[in-house]
Amino acid sequence: MAVTYDLMKRVTAQLYEWSLKKIPEDTKVALAQAELAETNPVGRKTLTYMIKSASTAERENRFVCSDSGIPVYFVKIGTRVRFEGDIKRAITDGFADLCGTIDPPLLEHVTNPLTLERGHKGKDMPIVTWDLLAGEEDYVEITCSPKALGSGRWAALQIFSFPSLDTIEKYIMDCVIPAGSQACPPLVVGVGIGGTFDYAAKIAKEAMLRPFGQRNPEPILEEMEERLLKAINATGFGPMGTGGVTTAMAVHVNYAAGHGFTPVAVTFNCWINRRTRARIYDDGRVERIE
Amino acid sequence: MNKTHHLKLPVSERDVRALTVGDTVYLHGEIVMAAGLLTHQRIIEYLEAGKPLPVDLKGGAMLHIAGYSREVDGRCEVLYINPTTSTRFNDYMPRIITGLGLRLTGGKGGLDARSVQAMREAGCAYLSFLGGGSTLLTKSLKEVISVNWTDLIFHYRLVKVRVEELGPATVGIDAHGGSLYESITRDAQARVPDILAGLGPRRSTASHSKG
Repeated sequence: MAVTYDLMKRVTAQLYEWSLKKIPEDTKVALAQAELAETNPVGRKTLTYMIKSASTAERENRFVCSDSGIPVYFVKIGTRVRFEGDIKRAITDGFADLCGTIDPPLLEHVTNPLTLERGHKGKDMPIVTWDLLAGEEDYVEITCSPKALGSGRWAALQIFSFPSLDTIEKYIMDCVIPAGSQACPPLVVGVGIGGTFDYAAKIAKEAMLRPFGQRNPEPILEEMEERLLKAINATGFGPMGTGGVTTAMAVHVNYAAGHGFTPVAVTFNCWINRRTRARIYDDGRVERIE
Repeated sequence: MNKTHHLKLPVSERDVRALTVGDTVYLHGEIVMAAGLLTHQRIIEYLEAGKPLPVDLKGGAMLHIAGYSREVDGRCEVLYINPTTSTRFNDYMPRIITGLGLRLTGGKGGLDARSVQAMREAGCAYLSFLGGGSTLLTKSLKEVISVNWTDLIFHYRLVKVRVEELGPATVGIDAHGGSLYESITRDAQARVPDILAGLGPRRSTASHSKG
């Protein structure tokens, strides 16, 4: 057996469609908790409407948001997996097929940054990050995280030299304030500290995609996440930025060792927190994780 | 106390001036959906040239709501709608608000101080719709009246539709210079020094020292 072109094509396309029509279970719980805790009446009303919107979209098999974003995948490969066919091509073909068949159809969001022309196709699209799973696993784990304009445009990265935690946390707050009302809060904030320019961005994105409630194994970061969540919710932007105590649902921070120059990357997901995940096993089984 | 308004379109200046930030609004009647930089640039071109737009927007509601629209057997159809981030149109909106004499605009994320000023002068309010409210907002759509500028991609077209109970929307900017976006951002910025000062003492682990 093997992970084949057909399987890869089908599963990556399905993950994209699911992410548009269903918000993750942990996100439903977080929104329901926020609805109870929200003290601002406008904010509470907005949260109620968000919950209704998500459940209606899921029930009726429609998009939660019309900005279906651009396809972004993380593929982690177990070293015992064998491949059959052009796996890289499978993801591109899967997206092309989906664009032709999905109901309702997708708007054209793939943009050529040089000409601003839009369509369903473009250079390096879908965007895929390939990685290996630790150990000797017999599956490929695929995460789909389509990125839309609302939250996509507020990500930022700055490189510091031997920054203190004060400096790092101030920078994170400096990134949250301009995103404020515009990135469709309550947000999920992902932070990557250290490594290199590219690596900090990657681990920030992975942090953002971490399910809620998983404990950060690094005690310094576990505390930082809790501290920053309180700090962000003290800003008062609230749901959709029209006021309230719910500006973020979660803050997740990853780190990597680096040199004394320390990149800090900050990225956001909007309240619908698009994130789907599946595993394709070497024997052809497909397991939908979320 | 925030009020709830059911507005029949077109709205009078008096009705718009009666709105206050934080109020809830539902719209009934005809709206024009306009999203996309190209759409806004083209509206400005028409205004500059003194050319009438294909849809009359004087006293109307032009919203930053994008939709998937298509023509089936010569009939216009809109499959779904959703608001888009309005701040992308900050540079165009003051001219459009006063030039067209809009009574209502909206989308999500708000508009900057230049638009707040233009809206106060023109008697116009900004409505915040739910980003990610596509399924529910689409249910309010009752009839497609016209689709113009079909040379542009779906979500950049100028689409006039009839809606029933489009909402809930929150009044983000009212016609009296009130803006939730300005006041909330100002409050957030004012709170930041205290928030940051509070982060250090909450830290049980010693901050790492410079190497």
